[in-house]
Amino acid sequence: MISFVVFSLRRAWQGFWRNAVMSLAATATMVFMLLLLSGFFVVLTGLNAGLEFVEQKVEIVADVKDGAPTLAIEAVQARVAAMPEVASVEYVNATEALRRFQERLKQQGREDLTTALDKNPLPGSLQVKLKDPKVFGNVVESLRADPSIERVQEVKNLIDRVLTVTNLLRTGGVLVLALVGIVVLFIIVNTIRLAVVARAEEIEIMRLVGASDAFIRWPFIFEGALVGLIGAAITLGLLALGAEPLGRVMTGFFEVLPLQLGALGRDLTIIVVATGVGLGVLGSWVSVRSYLLK
Amino acid sequence: MTLAPLRAAARSHRQRPVGLAPTESPVDGAVLVLHDVTKAYPNGNVALRDVDLVVPEGDFVFLVGPSGAGKSTLIKLIIRDEIATTGAVILDGQDLARLARRQVPKVRRKIGIIFQDFKLLPTKTVRENVAFALEVTGTPSREIGPAVDRVLALVGLTAQARQLPGTLSGGEQQRTAIARALVHDPRMIIADEPTGNLDPLISWEILQLLLRINELGVTVLMATHNAEIVTALRKRVVALEDGRIIRDEEAAAYHRED
Ligand SMILES: Nc1ncnc2c1ncn2[C@@H]1O[C@H](COP(=O)(O)OP(=O)(O)O)[C@@H](O)[C@H]1O
Ligand SMILES: [Mg+2]
Repeated sequence: MISFVVFSLRRAWQGFWRNAVMSLAATATMVFMLLLLSGFFVVLTGLNAGLEFVEQKVEIVADVKDGAPTLAIEAVQARVAAMPEVASVEYVNATEALRRFQERLKQQGREDLTTALDKNPLPGSLQVKLKDPKVFGNVVESLRADPSIERVQEVKNLIDRVLTVTNLLRTGGVLVLALVGIVVLFIIVNTIRLAVVARAEEIEIMRLVGASDAFIRWPFIFEGALVGLIGAAITLGLLALGAEPLGRVMTGFFEVLPLQLGALGRDLTIIVVATGVGLGVLGSWVSVRSYLLK
Repeated sequence: MTLAPLRAAARSHRQRPVGLAPTESPVDGAVLVLHDVTKAYPNGNVALRDVDLVVPEGDFVFLVGPSGAGKSTLIKLIIRDEIATTGAVILDGQDLARLARRQVPKVRRKIGIIFQDFKLLPTKTVRENVAFALEVTGTPSREIGPAVDRVLALVGLTAQARQLPGTLSGGEQQRTAIARALVHDPRMIIADEPTGNLDPLISWEILQLLLRINELGVTVLMATHNAEIVTALRKRVVALEDGRIIRDEEAAAYHRED
């Protein structure tokens, strides 16, 4: 058994280098595909983080009636906060609302016209964050029914619309990734098949001298795994080289997102290695199978 | 001497080939028995019809006939590269048609196969080509070296052991292939036109080698249309034509003589 494994590994190694051109072509294809896959994965992860960010921003805003007593407002706040769907409730009074508004104008570099007003036009409001942006319960209804609430902004429609878009983007992304995966598999299988065809003579001789299927198959499986492993290593190397300059460009974008680059790197490593080795093994298995069927 | 009764049995069987039912045990001492074998290829070509053949242990058989007569097909049935459409091909007591697929490699190790085009691996040396047959069948590595040395000495290639096939003459390449066929200690050597690519002098050399191997007790079946060699050696001749055995004679010539 050990000698069989040693034999297979040695033959895989020899096979890889004896057919160096073919093996390198397969490896290059593998690297190209893994890079493409990584690119898609990074974009999808970024997109996903962005969507989550947008979803988190969504909240229910209830304007408080002018002159409502603080005690009544605090009572509503406590009542809504106790509801199971609600993550948090923040009370932004009229003064604070005006300050935030002015700040935003300044940030955008626009002229502050509020100073011309003799009275604060903004109402105080309760800003309700939901645990799950899709689950409202009867938060909105409950707020509307309260006498100290002027009106509840129609955020439900907005939320629905945002969620539709984000779900569409997610599904589309996964679909594109699956499609790329299938194309990758097809190309890899064909590249490895070429490598196997180049060794058809060897397989024929092995069969004629009475080699069992395992002795014929496993060296090729290991060789496919080797192509995948080398391809994955090169891909990760290239990604590491590219990560720094790319990261600098994207920092501005990623900074606002709750994206953990460490976790992304780890996930990417696992995906690249697993996909590379998996494709290599699968490609070899499929390619060598037709020779063993007779 | 000891082979004489077997040969007699085989001969008497050949005179009356129709009587043997598939369930009957094969002739005692026969390495190979074909009974009522027909081979039709998927495209409809019928390459063999009603073939009966018994090859006793230690026999030397020439399989002759024009191109397309079915010689290679018969050989493919014996090495189970193809399966008979009807009838039984029994090698060393095992019916090849009923053999489970994973048993095939074991059966093939009982046979050594030689082809017209040598089928050597160009990137391996003579020694590696011969050792390959043992490596891929799971022989422990400490047994491989001595076995390879022994057969290389037998075929006279000890001096060329480290050369690549491309640097060898045709005769030396064929002797490498014979060494590879022998390294498993097979019961039988099967050769499909082994001298087809070689000039007459070298062909004789190869025949000398096959005769020596036969003297060591290995059964030899050789397909050929080299009339000069067949007629000169006066061995058993099985003649095929259009997929039928039209002649099966001991100590015979290439062509019918009566
Ligand atoms: N794989 C095949 N498919 C279909 N017909 C075949 C195949 N191999 C051989 N034949 C046919 O079977 C017949 C016998 O061929 P073959 O056994 O190669 O004869 P030989 O070796 O005596 O020249 C020929 O008519 C040939 O065309
Ligand atoms: Mg032929």
